Amino acid sequence: MTRTPSRRNFLRTASLGAAGAFIAARMPQDAFAQEAMIERAKNPRFLIVLSSFGGANQVDAFLSRRESEIPGAAELNAYPDAMVQTIGEFRAIDMKSPTIGAIPASFTANQSNFVRKHTNDMMVVTHTGTSVNHFVAQQRSINGNAAWKGRTLQEAVALTYGAGYAIPNVHLVNGTGFTERGTDGTLPAYVYGERAPVPNLWPLSLDGYKGIAGAPDRKLFEQARKFRNERLDPSSDFFRTFGGSQRIKHWSDIRGDALRGVEAEDLITKLMLFPDSAEMPLAAHGLQGSAIGQKVREAFPNYEFDPLEAQAALAFMLLRYGVSVTVTIGPEGSAVFKKGVKLGEGGLGEGDIVNPPISFDFSHQANREVQALMWNRQLSIADRLISLLKSEEFAGGQSFWDRSMIYFATEFGRTRRRPANAMTFGSGHDLNNGSLIVSPMANGGRVLGGVDPATMLTYGFDPETGRPEPGRNMTEPEMYAGIAHALGIDTAGAGLAEMRAMRRNA
Amino acid sequence: MKSTFTLGLAAAAALAAACATEPEPAPLQFAAEAPAPVASVDPRVKFKDGERYLRDLSANLNIPREEICKELSRYDCMTDAFRIVLGGVEAPNLLVNEPIEDAALTSPIAVDRLALHVCTNRVRMDKETPAEAVLFKAGAFGRDGRAKGPELAWLNSTADAIYGSVLLRSPSEREVQNLAAYYAQVAEGRAANNPDVAADWVTLSCFAVASSLEAVFY
Repeated sequence: MTRTPSRRNFLRTASLGAAGAFIAARMPQDAFAQEAMIERAKNPRFLIVLSSFGGANQVDAFLSRRESEIPGAAELNAYPDAMVQTIGEFRAIDMKSPTIGAIPASFTANQSNFVRKHTNDMMVVTHTGTSVNHFVAQQRSINGNAAWKGRTLQEAVALTYGAGYAIPNVHLVNGTGFTERGTDGTLPAYVYGERAPVPNLWPLSLDGYKGIAGAPDRKLFEQARKFRNERLDPSSDFFRTFGGSQRIKHWSDIRGDALRGVEAEDLITKLMLFPDSAEMPLAAHGLQGSAIGQKVREAFPNYEFDPLEAQAALAFMLLRYGVSVTVTIGPEGSAVFKKGVKLGEGGLGEGDIVNPPISFDFSHQANREVQALMWNRQLSIADRLISLLKSEEFAGGQSFWDRSMIYFATEFGRTRRRPANAMTFGSGHDLNNGSLIVSPMANGGRVLGGVDPATMLTYGFDPETGRPEPGRNMTEPEMYAGIAHALGIDTAGAGLAEMRAMRRNA
Repeated sequence: MKSTFTLGLAAAAALAAACATEPEPAPLQFAAEAPAPVASVDPRVKFKDGERYLRDLSANLNIPREEICKELSRYDCMTDAFRIVLGGVEAPNLLVNEPIEDAALTSPIAVDRLALHVCTNRVRMDKETPAEAVLFKAGAFGRDGRAKGPELAWLNSTADAIYGSVLLRSPSEREVQNLAAYYAQVAEGRAANNPDVAADWVTLSCFAVASSLEAVFY
């Protein structure tokens, strides 16, 4: 595509440094669109999707109910009164359990600390989905059931704010519907999610040369690339026969300006979370760890064995270094044990299971214990991310957190029924649920919607005022719209509902 | 596999400039374009996933698969480091059951790393064991090693070895001429008969061919 930025816009991109170079390469034709792109890149918002695989159930957390509040409490998932804390408009469950269902593994879980600390930025919104299939429901949680041409929230954020960022949309968790590419194929290639599945080694894929022992001088290497791109390939019979292929065009495009832009940022160093060690012999290969590595590792000390901590650490670095505007992280399907735990030697100790197999979905076996354990895990990750983002200034006295949102995306809720008065029981998938959103841009301190005491199913709210509306169910497109609007995304022409109640500022 | 091509005048002129004792930068003159083959009306190509890519190079360059590409001297480039962006799958842990549909932003960088690792390794091995050399063979500067620049026959045979090993075909005359002319660029600022220049040229020519579109797609 030929891009012709106006003289004014050309000068403005030049003043933006590295970001300007990316913008210049990604500019649309229209001068007004160019100007808007530049302004948005200077004033970004950041979206962290903290995917909550398996059904993060609101009535086991911020919408929990006391048995004394629920007429049919014996057979519904209401908690003993003493377990339910009220903090502002939210509820919280703290739990200590000797087992996770049939698994003799004790743990302690806490929700109240997070709620107390982040009440003003927390917003819980009720909604009812349209699928209890994991993958389908995951997709719908981030595309609003094709609310806006099928583009995901991450893609919408990358499109709006990401033009000046090297890799605007990074997926650190993979193989889920939360990270499935949207179905709007009209978007520019840079907004689609980039997979970063191995946090320790992924940074190596951000530079084609550094760390390769014995290679010729870098200048010669760059000449070789130029020779290949400009002489060898164009003159080959292969190219002249198949050069019209979309795959080859795409490849030629991304190994040009995009590649040079990524390498110019020295991301192989900035994003190297791991320090020099026997397992990661960086120095011996002319590499080094990130300047903020120590700080991030202290926040996520289990990064070596806990995939979610490693993801969160790299996610923060991607935002902090201006590489990305949206990152998607989340627990995976595999069980995670505390470092050094040996199985088959007489039971597990307190906290040895960091992540149960299939994450929240292990609620099929033990709803309350798994919900408590997994919420504790998710909230702990979010809390540390928030602290890091608050500790770094974006510009003008604003922290990165002032511009960020954490969306706890999940597929569905869990069924509300239980055997009479049981504490340990399994649950199924239920379309009805709600979502936790934490952000200074959200309508903080609010629960939007409510819980029907007869069924313990959630009901909706007035999109303008947030007033509870029993009998109303909020939809996936409405959730999508509310999140997009809180992030300042212009959805004009998309036909999305106005969800004023979900954002802090009009 | 022997190439019968010889250097064209343009490439020879560029090479001559590189062979001066105090070389001066000279604009490279690559071979003129040959008549274009008929472009496919429905060009469909597939990305050669990283495992197939490395296995092919392993077999053709005579480097054991498990040694051909190691990041930080420990981690297999494909299996451990870049499996997903190079079109692989990893269902048990990452739940990635299908290869990526479109190349990721980092895919070309990862391919460049693989190609550079492989070619650097091959030339290093060739230097360590000249009798078993695959790409960087003796004779670059004549039988007595005193020529002012690389012998044309050596350039030809090396280009032939690179194309034959990496793409399993002989190079065209145009491709040989382009590689030969490229020697001048590698030699810029250094004596053309410096063995390091010759080694760098072999490594980087190998890299360029191994990361070319023809090597990456099929």
